[in-house]
Amino acid sequence: MPIITISRQMGSLGDEVASALSSKLGWELITRDLLMERFFPDISQEQRTRLGESAKFYLSEYKDGISFRDVLADSLNTMSVEGSAILLGFGSQQLLSGNENTIHVRIIAPDETRLSRIEKQFHLPAEAAAELLSSTDRKHKRFVSHVFATDSTDETLYHLILNTGYMSVDECVAAIIATWKEHQLRVRIKAETKEEGAMNHQTEMPVFKNPSEAEFAKILDMYHIDWKYEPKTFPVEWDSEGNVTLAFSPDFYLPRFDTYLELTTMNQKYVTKKNRKLKKVLELYPGVHIKIVYKKDFLELAERLRSFGNE
Amino acid sequence: MDEIRYKKIIYSEEQLKERVSALGKMITDDYCGRELVLLGVLKGSLFFFTDLSRAIDLPLQLDMIAIGNIPDMTSSTGIVRITKDVDINITGKHVIVIEDIIRTGLTTAYLLQTLEARKPASIEVCTLLYNPGRQLIDLPVKYYGFEVDRSWLVGYGMDQCDYGRNLPFIAEIEH
Repeated sequence: MPIITISRQMGSLGDEVASALSSKLGWELITRDLLMERFFPDISQEQRTRLGESAKFYLSEYKDGISFRDVLADSLNTMSVEGSAILLGFGSQQLLSGNENTIHVRIIAPDETRLSRIEKQFHLPAEAAAELLSSTDRKHKRFVSHVFATDSTDETLYHLILNTGYMSVDECVAAIIATWKEHQLRVRIKAETKEEGAMNHQTEMPVFKNPSEAEFAKILDMYHIDWKYEPKTFPVEWDSEGNVTLAFSPDFYLPRFDTYLELTTMNQKYVTKKNRKLKKVLELYPGVHIKIVYKKDFLELAERLRSFGNE
Repeated sequence: MDEIRYKKIIYSEEQLKERVSALGKMITDDYCGRELVLLGVLKGSLFFFTDLSRAIDLPLQLDMIAIGNIPDMTSSTGIVRITKDVDINITGKHVIVIEDIIRTGLTTAYLLQTLEARKPASIEVCTLLYNPGRQLIDLPVKYYGFEVDRSWLVGYGMDQCDYGRNLPFIAEIEH
């Protein structure tokens, strides 16, 4: 099950984004206090206070030679399998680093914006607000640095960094959900591919082999139909040593309809060959839906695209 | 346009009447006791929609929906959007989308995606003409009038350059 971690600067509206995201998705919002109660229910008040004050204390032993940090990481990884949640703060992006069921988001804002928000929120004069901001930033940085030996401001830790100096809370929520959906799809295709014995062919960017494919992508966009370009390759023939000698990579995958589309805009000789290959795929991979887009359909759709485009 | 030139009549007025009446009976049996909404897709389904709705012997709500392509800042080709939306609330109701013809299914797929977001209790498709061999996306086509393999048709709501919709039969045109 999925988890979204949110790291935030003070005054960045990160708490508000996390809360709005939790309401929108209906997922539980887990803050530091809730986490302590859930994973360390038996610790003393003194231990609780020290965990709140000292980053180094996370590295000390909790039980059976295992540190607080490692118990936290194990518990969160278990939780990511069992339920969906939004984790706010406490270096959760590090605790769940590399977990495929998770995306990591950081919320930031320009210093001036953060200062102005803190002044208003805590009714502080500018100087005191600046001091509070600076000390909190230092404390956050120190915590992640001591516990995980990393820098929480490192952009490469995150799937998405959002600046509330330019974006509203609602816009941030929409961006996170869109990123999450894409991530989930990528992970799903990867897992299915492994299960089916096909080859994961998801690329960082689609490089269309011919102009027809690029045009067909535009047609799908026009109809708001989400697509992935050649995300899987289906081996259909192997040599005696098990090397793949013939494979089929359908051009488009439509996740919403769980359907692959293969464009055929060439002459009949190749269409017959392609149909034979398709037949083999359907025999070897039952349950996979693949349809051929014949030249006639493609031309009709392309014509519609052109006439719409000219309007 | 002076006149509609068509090659031959594919479905006569009588054939259409008979088939629409049969579809109406099927829907009446299937949806008895359920809150039914018929959504006609403008303009092609116009006559099929009105005749079919009168062939269904159930209390039901009617509405029409239209889609078109409008320019969009984020796309060089424009995007398909609903240009006449549903006015009635379809949440929790059983919806049947009425189409004149389904070819590749992309337009219907867009409509269904949009309507599903409004959480109807169920959503099905009823199309007068259906070409499953050309369909690129599997759609929930529960009812259809006739299976066709021809594309260029006119009459009974379908047009040639916006003419010919009022012909009482369906004919094949030259292309």
